[in-house]
Amino acid sequence: MRKKKRLFGTLSVFALLIVVTIYISLTNGAFDMTVGEVVGTLLGTNDDPRFELIIFDFRLPRIVIAALVGMGLGVAGTVIQGITRNGLADSGILGINAGAGAAIVIFMFFFQGQISDLGTMGIMLQPIFGLVGGLIAALTIYFFSFKGGRLDTERLLLTGIAIGSGFGALSLYLSLKMKSADFEMATVWISGSIYNANWIYILSMLPWLLILVPVVFQKAHLLDLFQLEEATVTSIGVKVEREKSILLLASIGIISSCVSVSGSISFIGLMAPHIARSLVGTRHRSIIPVSGAVGMLLVLIADFIAKTAFAPNEIPVGIVVSIIGVPYFLYLLVKRKQ
Amino acid sequence: MITGKEKSAQWKPAQPIAILIVAPFIMVAVVILSVLYGAKDMSFSIVLDAILHYDRENVDHAIIVTSRLPRVLAALLVGAFLAISGAVMQGMTRNYLASPSIMGVTDGSAFFITIAMILLPGASNLTMIMLSMAGSAFGALIVFGFGSLLRGGLSPVRLAIIGTVIGTFLSSLSALMATYFQISQDISFWYNAKLHQADMDMLLLALPLGLVGFILALLLSGSLTILSLGDETAVSLGQRTTVVKALAMIAVIAMTGTAVALVGKIGFVGLIIPHITRFLVGVDYRWLIPCSGVIGAIFLACCDLASRFINYPFETPIGVVTAIIGVPFFLYLIRTKGGGKHA
Repeated sequence: MRKKKRLFGTLSVFALLIVVTIYISLTNGAFDMTVGEVVGTLLGTNDDPRFELIIFDFRLPRIVIAALVGMGLGVAGTVIQGITRNGLADSGILGINAGAGAAIVIFMFFFQGQISDLGTMGIMLQPIFGLVGGLIAALTIYFFSFKGGRLDTERLLLTGIAIGSGFGALSLYLSLKMKSADFEMATVWISGSIYNANWIYILSMLPWLLILVPVVFQKAHLLDLFQLEEATVTSIGVKVEREKSILLLASIGIISSCVSVSGSISFIGLMAPHIARSLVGTRHRSIIPVSGAVGMLLVLIADFIAKTAFAPNEIPVGIVVSIIGVPYFLYLLVKRKQ
Repeated sequence: MITGKEKSAQWKPAQPIAILIVAPFIMVAVVILSVLYGAKDMSFSIVLDAILHYDRENVDHAIIVTSRLPRVLAALLVGAFLAISGAVMQGMTRNYLASPSIMGVTDGSAFFITIAMILLPGASNLTMIMLSMAGSAFGALIVFGFGSLLRGGLSPVRLAIIGTVIGTFLSSLSALMATYFQISQDISFWYNAKLHQADMDMLLLALPLGLVGFILALLLSGSLTILSLGDETAVSLGQRTTVVKALAMIAVIAMTGTAVALVGKIGFVGLIIPHITRFLVGVDYRWLIPCSGVIGAIFLACCDLASRFINYPFETPIGVVTAIIGVPFFLYLIRTKGGGKHA
């Protein structure tokens, strides 16, 4: 009971923080607005076309994407850390983001200049390509770091870094062959940015999240079991490899849909689960929703910094996140060995 | 060569000597190919003419002398410097993954260059090279400093992780500053390692500074062989390991700093070449260092040549070419050598 209360309390606090951040993000920018104007525009009572344009075409889609991407990366990060039993695992560091990104760049490359002709269809297809790339990256990492019957933590990280840099080079190479308009879009994947947010992108990632996040949540209790010795889990009657594959597949699906709209944002999947664990303990049924909320808040804040700190210049949100994320990673590295 | 003439039982000089004799011929061949082929192919007679009777008005002559030639020379020089830096670092730390781009040295250098472009616009080439060296020292200091704070932090895989992550941090900071001060365009020239911006003036300045590092590395090569056997062994043989390590680091900083100032960040050369060279000539650093140098020089010049044709007529950043070759090699090293063992 107390655990339930604690989870509920934590989630409420995060909900409040998220609302506050969204509010700040909605009202601040190159064009400041008052509360009344924002609320009025959202409710449709204030029909100043300038406000409508700024809120509905620029600020709101961007905020929604930041929130969804943050949640997705937080949830997927928890699953990946749970499966690998490695607190330093993160889809960005492991190169899964880069794999998904490279696949999407390849997709864009083959439909050069036709992306706009393909329209909604093209954007909706992007996460699927991302999924394939993410899977290839994950399989490669698995192949290289699995040795002598076990997954070596540090080799896993280093392999991931190598794979990431390989896919990064591939993306850079292909993006340079593109026409300049597509190149603009492709460069987004290299550092991670949400600047070209629009409602179609949200539509493209929403189904993935709506289906896969519940799948992950439904199987969350299995992640608790994976923390035990493998033999114990098998003896309880869990089909370990099968369940692991489903969870991994689901999380790569979530990651791919995120990467397809925002590019590669590292470290969220690393930080969010740790923060969540420190707040609500060890049960994955609690960790997953909190981790999603933490990820959401982190990306919302990072995106707000990215668009306002150096206005009118924008920084890719991925860079803001890694400036916060690297010290955190190093802190975890220090803490883990003590 | 400068590596001393005395022979001892464990020397296997046949292969290294062969390499050092053959290498100059290959280098000349690569230089010729590199000058002849590119977006505009040149005939041999024009090249000869450009060098012997340089005519400022002739466009072909200008391309050859102000662009093609400095470019291939820079590739040779940078390849040699990075490969030797990697060899020195691998011997010094006994870490088979040690190399300038993995250990934060190049990122530190690029970080300082970014700051320099902001604070000192129009700084002289010499200032840039000096700052680049200071940045190399800074990057190495942070990575090794942090590594030695951690228990087991200097083990190969762990140090590589720390180095990569700190490298990410430094390059993110650089990108942040570049955006803020609106010099992203200038900075991206450094990041994408565009060899073709290498010019003769910069090259002439870089050569002596890098050579200091090169000579230092050669002088240290005997000590590095002993050091690579392990600290205890080296101490018991009477070596002052701290002095040797400090000098070795200075050599690395001089060479890598110069390399980054010349052409930007190029990954994997310093990682791969020493391994290939070790495979060819064994573990004696008196041979390993000069041979790494010539092989690295040829390797990078060939990568540069390839970068012009992979996506003809557009150029591919040379970092992409080295990554395409380097990543599989890197994976192979992790797979075969594992996490705990030393080089």
